[in-house]
Amino acid sequence: MIVTEGLELPSLTVTFTRTDLVRYAGASTDFNPIHHSDHAAAALGLPDVIAHGMLTMGTALRVVTDWCGDPARVLTYYVRFTKPVAVPDDGIGAAVTFTGVVTAVVEGVATVSIDAVCADVKVLGSATAEVRVD
Amino acid sequence: MRISEANVGQTYPPTPPYEVSRAKITEFAAALGDSNPAYAGPTPIAPPTFAVVLSSEAWGALFADPALDMHLRRTVHVDQRFVWDRPLRLGDAIVAQLTIEKVRARGNSAFVTIAVVLTTTEGERVCTASSTLLHTWPEENVA
Repeated sequence: MIVTEGLELPSLTVTFTRTDLVRYAGASTDFNPIHHSDHAAAALGLPDVIAHGMLTMGTALRVVTDWCGDPARVLTYYVRFTKPVAVPDDGIGAAVTFTGVVTAVVEGVATVSIDAVCADVKVLGSATAEVRVD
Repeated sequence: MRISEANVGQTYPPTPPYEVSRAKITEFAAALGDSNPAYAGPTPIAPPTFAVVLSSEAWGALFADPALDMHLRRTVHVDQRFVWDRPLRLGDAIVAQLTIEKVRARGNSAFVTIAVVLTTTEGERVCTASSTLLHTWPEENVA
């Protein structure tokens, strides 16, 4: 794999619906009600039911693994959960667009900086993965 | 009593062994909409962030320790870091052990950084999952 600094990875847009949140809750065993209950989300002052941060983080990494093919190449991954992804129960859901760019390649390890944007707002901060590309 | 800098370095007993199953790998990959072939076939690996299923089990130790006075419903996940030694694989039996790495208390809230080390029951380290949690106590409990 020939990888150089500045390489832009193919972007990915995913629309999260309430059903996706329920599916992730079951798969991850994170049943915090702010991820499925309007009542619980409102009680915490949230604008709507919000997606699990880990759902956004896990989906964002697909920008890297769809590109490099083998998820075993991923060595490290970091994100800050900067803004919640509100997921309305409107039959449409919330679209999040994920992009990635290679910011460094050192000794066969590429650093990929990932952006996640929902309704023009960045929802992840400092999202960075290190991946073997040798 | 509540969590403070004095708790830094504190380690809790590991969780009971968790066996990584094909059904759970399939379910987790589907929840991420991820059809990568590495998660299927005769010897599947788990999606990298599957590690959170195991690490979050270990968070229970924090909320179960009365000396920390921490509650899941008062906790916000601020950031997450994973460092993998190798992928989680079908059949791995994994224990997760939590250590309090850093505490920054301010007024009625605290930033708590924890590290959860995932190890096979044979003692092979597989992943370290570190998280910063923001915990907020009710106003009336401010000393």
